[in-house]
Amino acid sequence: MEKENNAKEGIKGWINPAKYGKFGIERFAWILMRITGLGLLAYFIGHIYETSSILNGPAAWESVLELTQTTEGHIFLSLVIGMCVFHTGNGIRLMLVQMGYGIGKPARPDYPYKPQSLNMKGKACIYATIGIAALAMWYGITVMFG
Amino acid sequence: MIMRESIVMKIHYGTALGAVFLVAIHIMMRMTMDFHDSLQYENVIANYEMIGYAILLELILILISVHGFNGLRVILLEMRQGKSYEKGVTYGCIAAMVVLVAYGSRTIIMTNMGMV
Repeated sequence: MEKENNAKEGIKGWINPAKYGKFGIERFAWILMRITGLGLLAYFIGHIYETSSILNGPAAWESVLELTQTTEGHIFLSLVIGMCVFHTGNGIRLMLVQMGYGIGKPARPDYPYKPQSLNMKGKACIYATIGIAALAMWYGITVMFG
Repeated sequence: MIMRESIVMKIHYGTALGAVFLVAIHIMMRMTMDFHDSLQYENVIANYEMIGYAILLELILILISVHGFNGLRVILLEMRQGKSYEKGVTYGCIAAMVVLVAYGSRTIIMTNMGMV
């Protein structure tokens, strides 16, 4: 039991850079999925609270809206766009993987025991998702600052 | 009542796909006019007063709340396990989800009915 407790790294395990070198882009996607998920949930709660100001009339609405109509507000919203696109794209990849698509055929485990599921298709999808998220952020910035 | 984790994950994926589709419509509504104009008080009120759009907002609220708080539950259960901890996390997430849906629904219903 003590050995099991020592194995629990929690948040420290998330941010340990040694894990990224060892497990590659898949590990990065895993942590990014959790960070973006938590970020989007926090934004969603804030958005529900922010929009509720509409019940207090135009002045309250405008004062809350002013918070997002600044340079910092626009940068924050573009980050939300990026998080949303990455979370969506990676989520669809994970659903497809769980349905058995793109994980390769079963093969005899030979040294160095690389899992069939962690293949180039998956890596390419992760890189593409990060790229699309960056493009979406750029588009958001052009709309908000435009 | 205990729901099988496989069913919970199907709900998680179903709410995700539904939310992606509906949020896309929600964002496109901002594109029907200039982004800054679409956020003007009168335009937002007009959006809320359309019954179809109010239903869309309510569905988004429910889908994202279920998906978001189940995601939070999964993250918390990945970090630590234990009977009372798991029970606490599950019921805590359900309670937070209910509160958020109730609070958001209050805004949607009151604005839709012109109580502003």
